[in-house]
Amino acid sequence: MLSYNCKYELKLLLRSRWIQLLSIMLLLLFGFSIYNGLEKVEKRKRDITAAKEEVKENDAVMLKLLDSVEGGMEVSASPWTIPTSPMAVGNYHPRVAAMEPQSMAFIATGQADLFTHYVKPRVSGDDSALNFAEMTSPVQLLFGSFDLAFVIVYLLPLLIIAFSYDVLSAERESGSLRLLAAQPIRIQSWVLQKLGLRFFWLSILVIGSLTIIFFAVGLNPFTEMTGFLGLLGLIITYMLFWFALAFLINLWVGTSAKNAVALLGLWVVFVLLAPSMLNQLGNTLYPMPSRTLMINQMRDLKAEVTKKQDEILDNFLRDHPEYAINDTTQYRGFYHRYMASQKLVKEELAPVVDKFEGQLQKQQDWIGRFKWVSPAIIVQESLNQMAGTSTRDYENFRKQVVGFASDWRQHFMPFLYNNQDFSQKDYPNLPKFQFEQRSSASFGVIPVLLLIAIALFGLGFTVSRSSKKGNILTAN
Amino acid sequence: MIITNNLTKKYGEQTALDHLELEVKQGEIYCLLGANGAGKTTTINLLLGFIEPTSGSAFINQLNVQENPKETKRFLAYIPENLMLYPSLSAVENLDYFSGIAGKKLSDADLKGFLAEAGLQTDAFGMRISTFSKGMRQKVGIAIALAKDAKVLLLDEPTSGLDPKASNEFGLLLQKLRTKGVATLMATHDLFRAKEVGTHIGIMKDGSLRQQLVAEDISLSELEQAYLNTMEYKELVL
Amino acid sequence: MISKTFLKETRELMRDGRVRIAFLIVIVLLGVAALISARQYKNVNEQYELAKRSERAIWDNQGEKNPHSAAHYGTYAFKPKYPLSLLDQGVDKYAGTSIFLEAHKRNEAQFSAATDQTGLARFGDLTPDFILLFIIPLLIVLLGYNSFTKEREMGTLTLLKSQGVSAWRWALGKWTALFFPVLIITAALFLVAGIVLSNLDDFGVFSWSSLFIMFVVFVAYYIIFINIVLLISSLAKRSGISLVVALCIWIIACLAAPKAASNIAESKYPYPTRQEFAANVLKDKKEGLDGHNPWSKQAKLLQEQVLKEHGVDSLHQLPFNFDAYRMQKGEEHEAEVYFKHYNYLKDQYIKQSRIYKGLAAISPYLPARFLSMSIAHTDYATHWDFADAAESYRIATQKFLNDNFAENSEFGQWSYRADADFWKELPAFEYNPPELGTILSDNRSNLFILGIWLMASFGLLMFTTKTI
Repeated sequence: MLSYNCKYELKLLLRSRWIQLLSIMLLLLFGFSIYNGLEKVEKRKRDITAAKEEVKENDAVMLKLLDSVEGGMEVSASPWTIPTSPMAVGNYHPRVAAMEPQSMAFIATGQADLFTHYVKPRVSGDDSALNFAEMTSPVQLLFGSFDLAFVIVYLLPLLIIAFSYDVLSAERESGSLRLLAAQPIRIQSWVLQKLGLRFFWLSILVIGSLTIIFFAVGLNPFTEMTGFLGLLGLIITYMLFWFALAFLINLWVGTSAKNAVALLGLWVVFVLLAPSMLNQLGNTLYPMPSRTLMINQMRDLKAEVTKKQDEILDNFLRDHPEYAINDTTQYRGFYHRYMASQKLVKEELAPVVDKFEGQLQKQQDWIGRFKWVSPAIIVQESLNQMAGTSTRDYENFRKQVVGFASDWRQHFMPFLYNNQDFSQKDYPNLPKFQFEQRSSASFGVIPVLLLIAIALFGLGFTVSRSSKKGNILTAN
Repeated sequence: MIITNNLTKKYGEQTALDHLELEVKQGEIYCLLGANGAGKTTTINLLLGFIEPTSGSAFINQLNVQENPKETKRFLAYIPENLMLYPSLSAVENLDYFSGIAGKKLSDADLKGFLAEAGLQTDAFGMRISTFSKGMRQKVGIAIALAKDAKVLLLDEPTSGLDPKASNEFGLLLQKLRTKGVATLMATHDLFRAKEVGTHIGIMKDGSLRQQLVAEDISLSELEQAYLNTMEYKELVL
Repeated sequence: MISKTFLKETRELMRDGRVRIAFLIVIVLLGVAALISARQYKNVNEQYELAKRSERAIWDNQGEKNPHSAAHYGTYAFKPKYPLSLLDQGVDKYAGTSIFLEAHKRNEAQFSAATDQTGLARFGDLTPDFILLFIIPLLIVLLGYNSFTKEREMGTLTLLKSQGVSAWRWALGKWTALFFPVLIITAALFLVAGIVLSNLDDFGVFSWSSLFIMFVVFVAYYIIFINIVLLISSLAKRSGISLVVALCIWIIACLAAPKAASNIAESKYPYPTRQEFAANVLKDKKEGLDGHNPWSKQAKLLQEQVLKEHGVDSLHQLPFNFDAYRMQKGEEHEAEVYFKHYNYLKDQYIKQSRIYKGLAAISPYLPARFLSMSIAHTDYATHWDFADAAESYRIATQKFLNDNFAENSEFGQWSYRADADFWKELPAFEYNPPELGTILSDNRSNLFILGIWLMASFGLLMFTTKTI
């Protein structure tokens, strides 16, 4: 039976123009989405390079100024921007802390449109002043991006539904099922073979069109073999899940119309409702503290700190006797007080800020536990991870930047409190930021998805075996 | 070849088939006559195993249909009232597909041979089924039966909607199969065709077989009278 | 004839199990969504009230202070949530809610809800607008795709034709049968929302007329979908084809077109990155007067000019504190720089909006979405309006503080402290969102596009059903 199904399924699909239609759709969808993704990645890279170039140019100016000052020449810059002052370097010559895109970044926009990819932490200002939200029109954020992940998670299941909702019912409705059922075969196996073949051909089309598009946009899938294979594995197991659902619906439901409605209902549940409900529940169980109230707290704290600046500085110097010893002038100005106060503010605010991080972490854990209710969530998350644009990646970046900001500040503290000038020879010692990628996506979800799909197929088989045959021939 | 023992099918309170006792031997064409709802199609569905009997049993080639759904289908061919094939495949391709999934591998020459034997004109072999008339589709159905080397042929209203010429051709085809030893069960409304091609005739009403006749022994008008009597029609007195 | 068809279709729909289940699901979802939104709404507004009050208290109780220190200390403007956001959350989740108002700097609204959520939030929320904009059109597709094709398939079409029915009356009957249940669901939702909102105390801004216009927009949106679905059903040969085509339209209109529009808009009219924007502002700022830098060329020029105007030859002879005056002039220059750069952003946004309007030709979702957000005060334009109002308030505040500094101290007197009571004199920040009339006239083009869709779909439906 299989060989004949193979031969004629392809013929039927070609003659009904399904294969042609699907190839064109897949090429268009993959092409447009990958093009969009690459454009975003290109812009991201350009922005980061431009920012780094700018820093380089500024550094050249700074070094020239330092050279002039050290040479005893008069300079025309505003006095507080002259880089002999360590605070001037810390504030006006910040480094770029950038998050370079990963090689697969184009497959999923994820949170990339929401968060910025580089910041320049300064010595003054606190960590909450580091705004990690990107300047984007909220309308764009609302609508989201037409990326490969969207095509895979949202549209591919719909293509599968359109492709397979009536495999059995169409035969029943046209009447050819009676003739088929009079042959010495099991209808369940026949449906399974038909769907299996459709799955096979669709997989071929997906792999083929993805490869074509990859080459067309100038990416070589073979240089990124593991990433590319992982992507394919994920897509194909996700497809298998939807084919398994189509198998169940074909056997259990009845007319083409009912099948279509049932499958669409499942699509709405898995792709639209389950994620939003899970998100909603996560927010309800682990609500974020109010940012507006956090602002109030921060303001109160700062007001208090400003009043007690002198006292704070004294305490700070008592805790750091090394600063009191090395300096002969013992000059104490605005920045001495300011930096000491900032440090205190940061310490005091830490629990409040941590609460946000903590709640976010809890929400994430919660989702991690329940994401299995919908393969759409699993696939979206895995694609985001593969692209390095998941919430965790940005969280990771945020943490690294906050760490770097602290290093940057710490680097200038001895200069400040020792009242030591910044000089040309100190330049090479400035801290530099290097973003460390989280270990890239694991493909552990693929076997799990595969198991879910196989379990669904098994369920279809065992349940339909026990049900009466009449159900298959006459639609209920 | 075809035997039913006390075959009964009930849908709730309603009895669709009531203790049917029927036997069709090799080389016989048994025509089941009866009004709509008399139980003809139910009988065929039971023989095909499409539905389960409430009680009794059906045998094809000495095998119980319910116990051996797959094996019994190896011996039988079935042509439904409105034979639907794959419209985008040609006659040869349809034949190849249906015999293929039934486990018969046939060469191109064989396939064409069966179609010719079933009386399909040669120029139609490669044409798509969507352009075929009902008579032509039925010939493909016969070709499927031939290719399968079926011992039993189940026909459900095969001549309804056929023009007289096509109907006549179909009758001749059945005769040809009969000489090969095929046992045919044919449900029909067509008294004339039943008398023409049938060897045996059964008249059904309300799910039970009321009368069995041997075609040779009676004339067409006697058959008609017997049919109307069974249906309890009073002759109009003018 | 129309009523007969209507009754028959309604009866058929009511007897269909899938319709009953679908209806039930939609109503349950709507209920849950409304409940969640209402809770969230109440929560946010309580926080807003609290934050606003305590921020003002912090400002009022600064004690004796130099006005310019107070300017640096700054204050916050909080964005309130409006009652109709209960029905359409719009871009609220993605737009910041608080703006820090300080000297020398215009800040962006920060802390949007989306940045504090996991990636799952990007799938969308279970809110009434999600049901209204996505699910109900899908319901229309499911209810109506076989409206005509089933008559064709069952063969009743020829029977009906032989009865000599007038095609458009027949079609109108089918149309009403589809429209009626949708109208009832929508009307019920809006009515309940209206009653709930008007019964809450702290709602100055809720108006029944806004609610009603929003209702009309949604009904128009649904009518367009009904027309399209019936049009497809009347043209398709089989129900299966009709369903697939109608679904494709739904996917394109509600999912694909908005996303594609956002990609095209971004690649054609990109926003600068946050850092780029800051760098550009800084560059322009440097070219003008810096209030804190008396040694710059611009400061010297200003000095000469002021001395000449007052006919004196020393800054000490001026009747006001020149430091504060210079500070104010610097503030004005910076405000101008910000004005220019934010206008550029606004310009990009307006050009992006044109792309959205262009793509509205393939998606009635877009004009409906923009209209409903505007009416609910949850659109980007309202956000801009709020940000602009906050900026005007910031500029006024700086002037208020600098004037006090200038009038009550002498040149060089940086030790000046304003009274502890002085801060209370600053008027509070009040923001009123645009009125309904303004919103509608701003959204003329969206109304126009929606109108075109409505008429065109009606026209096409009439035209095709004539020849059935």
